[in-house]
Amino acid sequence: MRLDIVGSLESITRVRGVRGAMIVSAEEGLVVAESSMEGIDGAAVAALTAGVVARLGRATEAAGRTAPAFVHLQAERGALLAVPAPGDLLVVAVTDAAVNVGLVRLELRRAAEHLA
Amino acid sequence: MSLVNFTTREITCKIVYYGPGRSGKTTNLQYIYGRVPEGRRGRMVSLATQSDRTLFFDFLPIDLGSISGFTTRFQLYTVPGQVYYNATRKLVLQGADGVVFVGDSQARRYDDNVESLQNLQENLLAQGVDIRQLPVVFQYNKQDLPRDLILSPDELDDALNFRGVRSFGADCLHGHGVFETLKGISELVLQRLAAGSSAA
Amino acid sequence: MRVIEPWVAEPLERFLAESAARVVLLTTSSGQVVAQHGFTRALDVMSASALGAAIMASTEELGRLTASGASRSLSHQGPSRGLFLSAFDLPQGRWIGLVVYDRDSSLGLVRLFFDRLVGELQAVAPAEVPAREVLAADFENELNASLRSLFGR
Repeated sequence: MRLDIVGSLESITRVRGVRGAMIVSAEEGLVVAESSMEGIDGAAVAALTAGVVARLGRATEAAGRTAPAFVHLQAERGALLAVPAPGDLLVVAVTDAAVNVGLVRLELRRAAEHLA
Repeated sequence: MSLVNFTTREITCKIVYYGPGRSGKTTNLQYIYGRVPEGRRGRMVSLATQSDRTLFFDFLPIDLGSISGFTTRFQLYTVPGQVYYNATRKLVLQGADGVVFVGDSQARRYDDNVESLQNLQENLLAQGVDIRQLPVVFQYNKQDLPRDLILSPDELDDALNFRGVRSFGADCLHGHGVFETLKGISELVLQRLAAGSSAA
Repeated sequence: MRVIEPWVAEPLERFLAESAARVVLLTTSSGQVVAQHGFTRALDVMSASALGAAIMASTEELGRLTASGASRSLSHQGPSRGLFLSAFDLPQGRWIGLVVYDRDSSLGLVRLFFDRLVGELQAVAPAEVPAREVLAADFENELNASLRSLFGR
């Protein structure tokens, strides 16, 4: 299982422009597994991303659209992408601005399915 | 160490009731809890075993009212008396502003009193506190028992109270001496605060 | 919010806002409340502080006894609320933070912002504690009156 998780994270970080990837416990906002470059505060990213995804989930559910299947936060210098995974987990990627978002999203989904 | 809030003018002090097992430490707090009006006491928290022996501590906050313009609160704690709970006693003793040593007046408990007092001295010393520098009073509980079973307060003073600090005979079950003991330790703790006068 | 030291107020305010916790208490290691903020009315603050200090003290002692290293923070997760306890050092001595949070926050958020709170407190805490006069020398009369009224005598 542990090797599977590491393998999943590696397939995400292999995508050009991805600075880090992690599995996060959605309820607690804690890092379960991480593969990030220097300069990324994994604990902070995990806690804050889980908080944002939980709040966005409340918004989409209030609108009758169920929980989000994919979250994409675009910033000036890059993006934060998150996909919910079974077991109350999130697969999260931190990217540069120049990245193939579609490819990262595909790898995030694959990783999420791997966790099932 | 007493906590002083100069903004809201509040003082909070920690008093620990210490002594051998079954000497009546919890009974002191239970009597105080029963007599003090509800608005001037908090909830009494007791961490006890199933047989009602104190496991960790009892805790009772009481509001003494305004003294020198400061709302004054005392937090009363007991320690578990049984010998094997020494680690817990050390923890509860941390930061105590005053200690009430509750001795058991029964002659057969003489050695237990001496042992507990020595244990108090050792535990204070381990925290860098000299018992001679700390406000301490003695309470000799169970003075209501038949004379032939107990030692008198004078006899207990001779055995335990080398420093000649204030001591009180008591029957905590019926409340005799409980108030006087609390008054005695309160005076000593506040006297020290008045003399030292430093914020926490 | 209630604080004994004014320099605690701003970092504490920020912590509660950023972490979205319900309640935060700061206490001394002997369980005396130094600051409280949030939904404190729903909490028996003094008892919670005494118990929090006891838990931290026993956890640290257990860490020492088992040579597993003194644990400085711990958390309990209930069905709807969580509790986070952590000890830290200031020139004023060792303090303990007790944080209650619900689904608006998470352990990760609380931990993240609590670490920042500690850093801010360590940066602003005055190095020396000035001595100030507390009680008048003749406080005994007031004490006696207070105790008499306390015991209905």
